[in-house]
Amino acid sequence: MKRIDTFKVIIYLILSVMCLAMVFPLIPLIFASFKDHQEFYDSQPLSPPHNWFNFHNFYLAWTQGDLVRGFLNTGILLAISLVGTIMVGTMTAYAIDRFDFKGKKLVVWAFLLAALVPGVTTQVATFQIINRLNLYDTRWAAILLYTGTDIISIYIFLQFMQSIPRALDESARIDGAGHFTIYFRIILPLLRPAIATVIIIKGIAYYNDFYTPFLYMPDPSLGTVSTSLYRFIGPFSANWEVICAATLLVIVPTIVVFLTLQKFIYKGLSAGAVK
Amino acid sequence: MRKRLVAGVASSVLVASFLTVVGYAPSQAAPAGWCKQITVLTNRTDIAPTTFTKVYGPQFTAGPGKGTTVKFESFTNYNQDVRTMMNTKNYGDVLGIPVGVTPNQFPQFFSPLGKASDLSKTYRFVNEGTYNGTVYGLAQTGNAGGYAVNLKDWKAAGITTPPATPDEFIADLQKIKAAEPSVIPLYTNYATGWAPTAWTNSFTGYAQGPDATNIMTHDKAPWTAGKDAYIGDDLLYQVVADKLTEPDPTTTDWEGSKALINKGTIATMFLGSWSVSQFQGAGPNPQDIGFYPIPVKDPKTGKFQTYISGDIKQAINKNSKCQASAQAWLTWFEQDSGYAYSQGGINPYLKGPNGESYTIFDKLGVEYKSLNPAPAGHDADNANVWKASGIPQDGSLEQAIIDTARGAKSGSEAAIFADLNSKWANGVSSLG
Amino acid sequence: MLKERYKRQVTPWLYLVLPLGLLGLLTYLPVANMFWYSTTNWDGIDPHKQYVGLANYAKIAQNPDILHALFNSIYYFGGAVVQIGLALFVATVLSYGFKGTNFFKGFLVFPFLLNSVAVVLIFRYLFQGPGIASHAGGMDYLLQHLGLGRFVTQWLGNPHIVNFSLAGVSVWRYIGFNIVLFLGAIQSINPELFEAAALDRANRWHQFRYIILPGIRRITALSLILAISGSIAVFEVPYIMLGGANGSSTFVIETVRIAFAENRVGYASALAVILLGIVLIVTFIQRNIFKDEQVDLV
Repeated sequence: MKRIDTFKVIIYLILSVMCLAMVFPLIPLIFASFKDHQEFYDSQPLSPPHNWFNFHNFYLAWTQGDLVRGFLNTGILLAISLVGTIMVGTMTAYAIDRFDFKGKKLVVWAFLLAALVPGVTTQVATFQIINRLNLYDTRWAAILLYTGTDIISIYIFLQFMQSIPRALDESARIDGAGHFTIYFRIILPLLRPAIATVIIIKGIAYYNDFYTPFLYMPDPSLGTVSTSLYRFIGPFSANWEVICAATLLVIVPTIVVFLTLQKFIYKGLSAGAVK
Repeated sequence: MRKRLVAGVASSVLVASFLTVVGYAPSQAAPAGWCKQITVLTNRTDIAPTTFTKVYGPQFTAGPGKGTTVKFESFTNYNQDVRTMMNTKNYGDVLGIPVGVTPNQFPQFFSPLGKASDLSKTYRFVNEGTYNGTVYGLAQTGNAGGYAVNLKDWKAAGITTPPATPDEFIADLQKIKAAEPSVIPLYTNYATGWAPTAWTNSFTGYAQGPDATNIMTHDKAPWTAGKDAYIGDDLLYQVVADKLTEPDPTTTDWEGSKALINKGTIATMFLGSWSVSQFQGAGPNPQDIGFYPIPVKDPKTGKFQTYISGDIKQAINKNSKCQASAQAWLTWFEQDSGYAYSQGGINPYLKGPNGESYTIFDKLGVEYKSLNPAPAGHDADNANVWKASGIPQDGSLEQAIIDTARGAKSGSEAAIFADLNSKWANGVSSLG
Repeated sequence: MLKERYKRQVTPWLYLVLPLGLLGLLTYLPVANMFWYSTTNWDGIDPHKQYVGLANYAKIAQNPDILHALFNSIYYFGGAVVQIGLALFVATVLSYGFKGTNFFKGFLVFPFLLNSVAVVLIFRYLFQGPGIASHAGGMDYLLQHLGLGRFVTQWLGNPHIVNFSLAGVSVWRYIGFNIVLFLGAIQSINPELFEAAALDRANRWHQFRYIILPGIRRITALSLILAISGSIAVFEVPYIMLGGANGSSTFVIETVRIAFAENRVGYASALAVILLGIVLIVTFIQRNIFKDEQVDLV
């Protein structure tokens, strides 16, 4: 049946236009990264660079922009914060799902209510607390905030936990296992898919976050990818082609992660929205 | 049982490890007040990684620094970022006092550097960093009032002498626009926020004389025709309304503008003498950068005049554990670094050489003047009136003037000034 | 036996020590403090806080900058509505499972994953007028070459347009999130409903109206709520782009500026309390309108 489904064609057309719209803003940026200053100044934004192998801007961005330190710092933040958030999230989920205790309702409500409070609203007061703890301008400010205000991962773990049959707990207990052993040896491994989901969505969130490192870590040697790129703008504003190169350096890892882990990401985004 | 304990402890590991960070500050093994490294906060994002880090730092370390290294942190939005940091105890060891910190707040944030009566024997502009007879900040260089021009562009429009009145100034810019349509007669650097504040601040004293600041502190309507505050902001309004500035102010680019004025694409930038050396160094035409005096002649002598004042004041963080190292740096920076000279500025160190931005001034016979300090005990009055009035000093006032003049914001010049006067009057009454 | 029951009561608390501690420290304590600070004129540094009652709240109503910033939320909300509509359309279409679905999905979703600063820089360069280069930026260039040259404007410089531009950036960035959400929701609708519809010879439009729409009610409601609280809490895009200048400031930008750069923590806390209040009210309304929300997790 070679009938042309006009409906399909229209749909494809619309989708293609939308895809173009999504990709279009990146094109001048990509082109600009490969142009040297004079070419950048003289040429049109949508004209391709003469030399696709001109890596000079990338070299400048890498060596002069503190981007290396930005990646390192972000890496450290990610590693510690993700471990922290998984620990906190799984422990909370374990306690809430597997136990019935006095005050449980209150605890659940406490978390539910906290989920309603957007972080941006409390920053003024949170700042004072971080300051009082002497954590201002240290890595721990960000780590503490990321670990301690993440309700989403708790929800994801709770959701997932409900599908782990209690029978496993019971049989382990019969074999003489204590609560911690059950948590560590049985629940945690079974939570692996949820953990993977959390790593991905929280990892992306931390990598892209600007507000927290901006407010709490002004020291350039603590700069994350976001703040390092942000600091680029002032000194290099006469050389946008270098800024473009730096921007590309920052988004390439994300795109690579996206392409390789697409399915996980989709799953994670859906799970993360279920409140 | 043991494992439960382990669980409880394991869950507090994070808490424990950062408590150690929290509780203890790094201890210095060196003699009291000396540290292995001090941190200096600066707004010079352009030379911090180069001149400061590679030249001044090592020179200090090898010399009076006794091995103390200097770490420079630079900020594009210096005022906002550093004031945020000043909410905590961590704001470097040495820093420039940000705009908006009033003199009566100096003792809260900064270490005393000495008595004003003593230090004024060594330095200029001491009263600008003084509160109640004690000095908290020393100017890093001195500026003369005026504005930077590209001499070639001005000459090409047939202008040979600097304009002597605001109207002449506007007329000259219009001549430039007519003669060279591809040149921007005046570039406001709107996007930086700090650059346009020169319009409000640079005219103080020119029409009203050396006591202008003290007069304004008690004047309930300083934005009235004939008064300094009015002249500057009115001129800004006119220049923008007459379309003599850049077409899209929101995308102005400070670093790029330096090269553009050097090249001649920009003819004028209303910034003090400190900018001249930066513009000269931004391209192949240093000889084209000139500096003209404020277009308001002394009403009594009929001569051009310029008021000199201190640039950003360098101060020491009161909470710094490196007081001795910081003091050593500050002294060296002020006296021996050569910074002021390299900026073409007036040396704050009385014994130091002055920079060379002012050759035109000498030719024109420009009179050098200083604004009178506040009467004793009233150091903070002017700053407190600003604060109480609620009039922003971060550039948003001048941005609003520019926006209104170019039609981007509704309103009128008269309305803006009336509002300013009423706010200022409130500020004045707060002095009680 | 009693020891076992005792263990069961105490053990969960052991596990909750850290989570609850953090919750209290970083969420509840700040909220409580916020209310307290809002009744003072504290500057954040002075050890003494002076009580001023509700004076801060009164000041807010008279401050035109705050009101303007609040007004700007409408642009972002409008953008979010467009975003939700488009996302719904795309998700529906993608759910049909045509060839190349994954390909399209990838392109439409990836902006959501990009770094905030990177996104702003991409668009700052796109919206640039001539200046940093001899020619205008990508946006103007494209319009001119499509023969739409008369639409060329100062995307960021024109204060009437700037908020539309910024809202547009927001839509570009977040539409992927909505697409994935909707797609997930549509795909979890019982396929038997579609089969039944096909038997009744219902066309695609009917399917959409009578099967898909009801089935995604919850997600749509959620998206709208996120849109409202999101449009009031906007910070990153306008701040990184213009620092809030040219009329693009938002409520959170103003709060941050007033708190930290102007040292008026008391006043800023009052602003934050209002922001929190708005978000809570909106959420409360949503939970009451869409009562089939599964709130119970236990």
